[in-house]
Amino acid sequence: MQKTEPIDSSQKPIPLSLILLLAVAVHLPLMLMKLPLKSYDTNFHIFFASHYLHHWFNPWNVKWYAGFSQATYPPLPQQWIAVISPLFGLEMGYMVVQFAAILLLVVGVYRFSRLWVSPRAASFAALATVFLGSESFLVYSAGQLGTTSAAPLYLNALPYMYVWVREGGWRPFLKATALFAAAAAAHHATLLFGSFFFALPVLALAFLDDRGEKPTVSGFVMRTLVIVGVTTAAIIVVLLPFWIALIHYPVTQTPIPHPSRANYLLSPQWGLNYFIVPYGALILALPFIFWRGSMVPKLRPLLFGFWVAFMLGLGGTTPVGPILLRRAFEVITMERFSYWATLLALPFVGLLASELVSRYRVKAAGALAVAAAFTCALAVSWSTFHPADGGTLGIDSNAVAAWLNRDGHNQYRYVTLGFGNQIARLGRLTDADSVDGEWNSGRMLPELTKNGGGSLTNSKYFGADGLRALRAILMHASHYGLKWVIVRDPSYDPLLAFAGWRPVDNLDDKTIVIWAKDGIPPAQPLNAPQMPPRWQGLMWGIFPFGSSIFAFLVLLIPDKRREEEMEQYPVHREESLLPGRMIS
Amino acid sequence: MKRNGVLLALLLGAATIALIAIGTIWPIPSALAFAGGQGLRPAPTTPEIAVRNLADDIKTRSWGRAYGSLANKAEFTQAEFQHDLTGYYQSLRSYAELDHYDVRPLHQSADDAVIRLDLYWSTMMGTSESTRDVHVVRNGNRWEAEWPLVKKPVVPPQVIPVNYLRWDVIYPTGGDDWGEQGVEAPHVRIIDMHPVQRAEGVVILGELLNEDVVPAYVSVDATLLSKDQKPLGTEGSFDKIMHVLLPKQVTPFFINFPNAQLSDVGSIRMTPFSTLVPASADPVIGIDSQHLNPVPNPSLTGNLINQSGQVVNVAHVLGTFYNKNGQVVWVADEYVDRALLPQTPVPFKIHIPEDLARSISSERTVVATYSTGGSV
Repeated sequence: MQKTEPIDSSQKPIPLSLILLLAVAVHLPLMLMKLPLKSYDTNFHIFFASHYLHHWFNPWNVKWYAGFSQATYPPLPQQWIAVISPLFGLEMGYMVVQFAAILLLVVGVYRFSRLWVSPRAASFAALATVFLGSESFLVYSAGQLGTTSAAPLYLNALPYMYVWVREGGWRPFLKATALFAAAAAAHHATLLFGSFFFALPVLALAFLDDRGEKPTVSGFVMRTLVIVGVTTAAIIVVLLPFWIALIHYPVTQTPIPHPSRANYLLSPQWGLNYFIVPYGALILALPFIFWRGSMVPKLRPLLFGFWVAFMLGLGGTTPVGPILLRRAFEVITMERFSYWATLLALPFVGLLASELVSRYRVKAAGALAVAAAFTCALAVSWSTFHPADGGTLGIDSNAVAAWLNRDGHNQYRYVTLGFGNQIARLGRLTDADSVDGEWNSGRMLPELTKNGGGSLTNSKYFGADGLRALRAILMHASHYGLKWVIVRDPSYDPLLAFAGWRPVDNLDDKTIVIWAKDGIPPAQPLNAPQMPPRWQGLMWGIFPFGSSIFAFLVLLIPDKRREEEMEQYPVHREESLLPGRMIS
Repeated sequence: MKRNGVLLALLLGAATIALIAIGTIWPIPSALAFAGGQGLRPAPTTPEIAVRNLADDIKTRSWGRAYGSLANKAEFTQAEFQHDLTGYYQSLRSYAELDHYDVRPLHQSADDAVIRLDLYWSTMMGTSESTRDVHVVRNGNRWEAEWPLVKKPVVPPQVIPVNYLRWDVIYPTGGDDWGEQGVEAPHVRIIDMHPVQRAEGVVILGELLNEDVVPAYVSVDATLLSKDQKPLGTEGSFDKIMHVLLPKQVTPFFINFPNAQLSDVGSIRMTPFSTLVPASADPVIGIDSQHLNPVPNPSLTGNLINQSGQVVNVAHVLGTFYNKNGQVVWVADEYVDRALLPQTPVPFKIHIPEDLARSISSERTVVATYSTGGSV
C-alpha cells in the first residue's frame, strides 16, 4: 500500500493560500457591508459582547430578564469582539471575529479532509467550504457565531487528536487539548455533539487506517482515554461557571416551538429554509456520499457520522431527533445539525469534485463552479428573501434608547412589542433594563419559563402561550418596576388599554408608541440566587479567553517533523479508494 | 467487501427513506404543530374529515385552499369568506389565530350532514369561542362543506347626534407622565370587597366607586397577609376592572391569587390607586335583552348596542353578581371579539360558575371599550 510516486500536475492540490484568498474575496465584502446584522442572532452576540466590554469579570447582566447570568452561554467569540471593539467598534468587531472564523474553517476543513481523502480532494473540500450553503446560512441568516466559530477550532483539533492516538507525542496532544478547550469556550454544544459526529469517526479511522504504522490496541485505548480525560478536565475548568449554572438551574422551562423541528415535507416552507438553502447543490452529491461512503471501508465512520447528523438536521421530518435527543430536541434548534452534516460531507464533496475535474476537466470545473456559486448566492441572499428581522431592521433604536435614557425614564423597566431581534440592539444602546430578552435558556422569571413563548416582543407569534407569558409579566408590572411598554405593533394596543396602560409619547414618525402605567414603583434589583459569585466572574473572565490565547501559543510550537511525515504518507490515489473509479 | 458496501448503502438509503416516511405519516407533535394540526391531508371521504380539513386550512390561514374546498363558494367571494372569520372591521378577531377546534356531527344522511364546528380563537385578550353549524354535502365520493356565511352588516345612512360629557385635562408640562400632574388624586372608595376560596386559588371580589366630580384612572392592588401579618403575595386587578371611571361611576374588580389558600390568610391589605385623566362619556354602549340564565349552563346574556356614530373595535363586558342581600358574590367578564357598529346589536354571553349561580339574585353590567378611531 505504501507507494510513493510523482504527482501528476493535474493531481496537485489547490494551494490553501489561493483558497483563503477566494474566501477573502467572497466573504470580506459581505462582512464590510455588515450583512450579518440582518440575521437572527448577530445583535444578540453583540449585546453579550457589549456587556463583556463594560463588565469583563461580572457575567451578571441586568439589562435583560431583570437580571440574568451570561455564564449560561460560552463566551469566547463575544469576548473577542469585546477585546477588539476599541479598535473596530462592536459591530465591525463582530464582523472581524466572524470573518476570522470563516477563514479558520477553510483551514480546518482542509486538515480534517486530509484525514480521509487525498490532498487534492481535501483542497477541493476546502474550496467548497468557501461556498458552503450552511455556513453562509448560519453566518448571514441565523447569526450563529458560537457554532460557526467553534466548528473550525474543533476541526483543526481533530487531526492532532488523530496523530496523538496513533503515535503519541506531546505536541499533538497539547495542541488537540488546547483547541478542544477553546472550541468548548466558543460553543459547548459543538463540542458535545461534535464528539459523536466528528471525534468518534476520527478515532475509528485512527484505529483502522492502514497509512503508516498502525497503533497497538492497548496504546490506542490508553491514549484515547488520556486525551478524553484531560480534555474533559480542561473543559470543566474553562467553563466551570457554565456547568455550575447548568447543574443548579437546568433548562426545565416549557419548550418554545421552533420551525427547525417541523416536518420539512408537511411544511415545505421550512424545508426550503432548513434543508434546501443550507445544502444547496450539495443535495446532488447525497447519492455519491451514501454510495462511496458505504463502498470504501475507510470512509464508513465518516459516513455514519454524516448520516446521524443529516437525520437530526432534518428536524421533525423523521422521529430520529426526539428518539436520540430526548428533551434536548425541544430545547436546541436543529439547523446546526445540518451545518455539521455538511461539514462531514465535505471530504466526500472534495472527492467527487476531484474525480469529476480529473475526468471531465473544464466542463466539470465549470459545472461545479456554477453549482457552488448558486449555493452560496442562495444562502447569502436568503436573509433578503426571508428576512430574519421581520422588517424590524428599520426601527430607530437610537431614538427609543435616547427616550429611555432621558428624564429618569431608565428608573423603570421596559418591554418592547413588535421589535423582533432589534431588542438586543436597543438593549445595548439604552441604560434602562428590560424584563424581556433573547437568551431563552438564561431567563429565570417564572412568568416566562412557565409559558412556551420566546421573546415577549414577539409574543403574538407564539400563539396562546406567548400571549399568556405577556399577560403574566404585565400583571406583575409593579413587582418588576415595569412602567414602559414600547409598541411598534398596534395589535397589542387593546391588551395594553384594558390592562391599564395609556399612550404617553410616540417616536419615529408615530410608528413607535410608548405606553405607560401609573402607580408603578421604580425598578429594584431582584434578589437573584442565580447571580454568580465573584470568583466565578474572575474565572469567566480569565479561562475561556485564556484558552484561546493558550491554543494560539501552542500552535506556534513547530510541528515540522509531523508535517514531513504527512508528506511522506503515500499519495492517497483515488484508485486505492474507489471501486469502479471514474478517473480515466 | 464490495457486497458489504452495497448492502450498507442500500440499508442506509432504505433506513433514511423509511424514517422520513414514518415522520411524515405519523408526525411528531412539534412537526404536527407547524403543519397546522394534522399530518398528510386525508381525502374528504366523510363529512367530518371535510370539516376538519376546512378547519385546518383556517388554522393555517390557507384562505385560498379553504375557500376552494367549499361547495357554496359561488355564493360569496374569498374576501367575504375571510372577513367572515377575521372580522369585517378591526377587532380582536383581526389578529386572532385559531388555537384549536372541535367537530361534532349533529345529523347525517347518505347525501348530506350537519357538523357543529366549535372554533377557539387565541386573541390578545384570551381565548374566544365561536360556533358554526356547517352543512356538508356529498359530491361523488367526496364531501364538501357549505360555509354558513354571516354577511357584512349594513348600517343604514343616518345622523347620530353627539351629545355627551367630556373632561379635558390641561397638563402643566406636557410631559409624558400623564398621571403625575401634581394635582390631588380623585377620591375613590372601595364600597364592597370580600375574598372567596376557589379551586384555582383565592379570589378577591369587590366594587370601587369614583366619589369625585372628575374622571379617574383607577386600579386596585391587594396584598394577602398571613396570620402573623407577613405578606403572602401581591396581585392587581389587571384587566378585571374598568380603569377609567367617570364621576360617581362604579366598577367591579376581581383579583386572583393562584394557588393561595384562604385558610392561610390573616388579613388583606387593599390599595386602590387613582389619578386624574381626561375622559369622555362617548361611546355610549347600551345593553339590551339582558337575561340571567339559570343552571345548567348559567350565564348572563344580552346584546350590546353602540349608540355612538363611531366603530367600537373591542368591548369588554364586566358583570357584577349579587346575592339577595346585595353583596357581591361573583365578578365575571367577556371580551366581544367583533367590532360594534353604530346601532347594531352584538350578542354577549358571560359564564357564571354553576356552584354560585343559585345564590345570585341580581346583577349589574358595565362596558369598557377600545376604539382606534375608525368609522363605518
